[in-house]
Amino acid sequence: MSAITVQQLVKHFTAEIKAVDGIDLDIPEGQIFGFLGPNGSGKTTTVRMLTTLLRPTKGSASVAGLDVVRQAGEVRKRIGVALQEAGLDDLQTGRELLHLQGHLFGLGQREAARRASSLLDIVDLAADADRMIKTYSGGMKRRLDLAAALVHGPKIVFLDEPTTGLDPISRAAIWRYVRELNERDGVTFFLTTQYMEEADQLAHDVAIMNAGRIVARGTPAELKASIGSDVVTVHIEGDSGELARAEQAVRRLEGVEDAKALEDSIVVYVREGRRAIARIVRVLDEAGVPVGEVTLAHPSLDDVFLRKTGHHIEPPEAHTLPYASAARQP
Amino acid sequence: MMFLIARPSYFLMLRALRESLRQPAVELTNIFIPMFFFAVTVGAIGGVASKAFGVSNFVGFQMPVAILQAVAGTAGTAGLGTVADIERGYFDKLMVTPAPRLSLVLGRLAADSVRAMVLTVLIVVAGLAAGAGMKSGPAGAVAIVALAGFFGLAYSGIGMAIALRTGSAQAAQAGFLIFFPLLFLSPALAPTEVFANWLQFLATLNPVTYVLQGMRDLILNGWDWQSMAGALGSIAGLAAFTLTLTLLALRGRTG
Repeated sequence: MSAITVQQLVKHFTAEIKAVDGIDLDIPEGQIFGFLGPNGSGKTTTVRMLTTLLRPTKGSASVAGLDVVRQAGEVRKRIGVALQEAGLDDLQTGRELLHLQGHLFGLGQREAARRASSLLDIVDLAADADRMIKTYSGGMKRRLDLAAALVHGPKIVFLDEPTTGLDPISRAAIWRYVRELNERDGVTFFLTTQYMEEADQLAHDVAIMNAGRIVARGTPAELKASIGSDVVTVHIEGDSGELARAEQAVRRLEGVEDAKALEDSIVVYVREGRRAIARIVRVLDEAGVPVGEVTLAHPSLDDVFLRKTGHHIEPPEAHTLPYASAARQP
Repeated sequence: MMFLIARPSYFLMLRALRESLRQPAVELTNIFIPMFFFAVTVGAIGGVASKAFGVSNFVGFQMPVAILQAVAGTAGTAGLGTVADIERGYFDKLMVTPAPRLSLVLGRLAADSVRAMVLTVLIVVAGLAAGAGMKSGPAGAVAIVALAGFFGLAYSGIGMAIALRTGSAQAAQAGFLIFFPLLFLSPALAPTEVFANWLQFLATLNPVTYVLQGMRDLILNGWDWQSMAGALGSIAGLAAFTLTLTLLALRGRTG
């Protein structure tokens, strides 16, 4: 059965601002669904419509079999939501916040207290539960936010960029809780992210958004396989003219499926990349293009996005990371 | 349905009151300003009030003014708290719970009402100590506290509606600023009988006039049911107006 279905969903804030421009989704129960896209691609607007915070301009969406506009109240009973930037109340303690959340979901005093204690244990905040939230670190706030989303035991949980800005340890902790809840309790997660690695690590299925539309859909493995080639990135020590010359030169090489000039590099999609590196460097040298660092990688979800849209999905601080490594996991 | 709204409103009210206890400086300001004006006004005009406009008990005459000032001051708290919730994203977290939307605002408005009643108790105690007296007896004092609570609930709806519509702290404080013209277009400093005709006319249109008069009668003249009905009717009308604005603004947030 579908946990979430979306048909031709549209949200236009003005005639010019088309935040979501006709998307379709069908997410089965028990899935971790990764909704990838850069800032401003329409991910958060989609989440706000699915969680009843925003009315769609057109189209329809149902969550847990209920229409998000006509049955908004019933939808809210069945979903857990942790929005971007951990919206919490700094003047409450962690425990008070979870108690209140439990009461607002209709739990009795004892049940709300029991759920709060159990969740504080799960997200490793039991020792800090009675401290004011304003004293929490960013990672602690995100963990508490996740706990607040789970207080009523929802079967469908929306997490909007749950790890943006977190350190690697806090990020790994959030991933662990998500995976455990999905595997142990069958919770469906709708997870938006701009981090490729997050979608790769967690998601069973992925949709990539760009400018309000879904540009690719499939499992991470399927999407990466769709590239069908290795990715060689060549840093060019020159200006835009040299980048253009480099792109033209490598496109002529046998085995090259595509090449894109990007900032200070060219990205070459080529079969048997390991063998192609020498030929790429040679042809660039013959064309008089000054070559810097060269890296070879298996395709990533970022490469899928780059191939579809011509630009990176991840923020600059994130996409420098894969380039530093010699090879990424397929 | 009432229970469905009352239960989450109660928990949200407790949360808002906890906030106040954790920021006591805000409440000290809310009580200091009306107490200061109460003392200064009585000190400046009290001696001549009897000769000027026939008010012999000017402490009792001014006590409701101090109460309404305190209530208007604390009635901005709901709006400001809501702006803070909107800014830090917590309001969205409340909006995705199944709690009725009305309860999300009623909780904070009810907290303003409780704060208003606490401040009123302090002012009544200070007024009695200064010799204001209470012609309607202890039950009248309780009625004044209750009127202040209802007025606080109704009046804080202005700041709440502005907060929900604009998400701006400065704009949400407008509720308090609007109060000053309303207060001075009422018989705050002198009875309406000594007003110029135009001012007398404006005072009859002003809901604050009736609330003030209701409280003043309880202190100076004893129980006057017509005066009480005027006060309660004005508060009910104001509440209907501000709650409608608030719910429209709340609805606008999901547009």
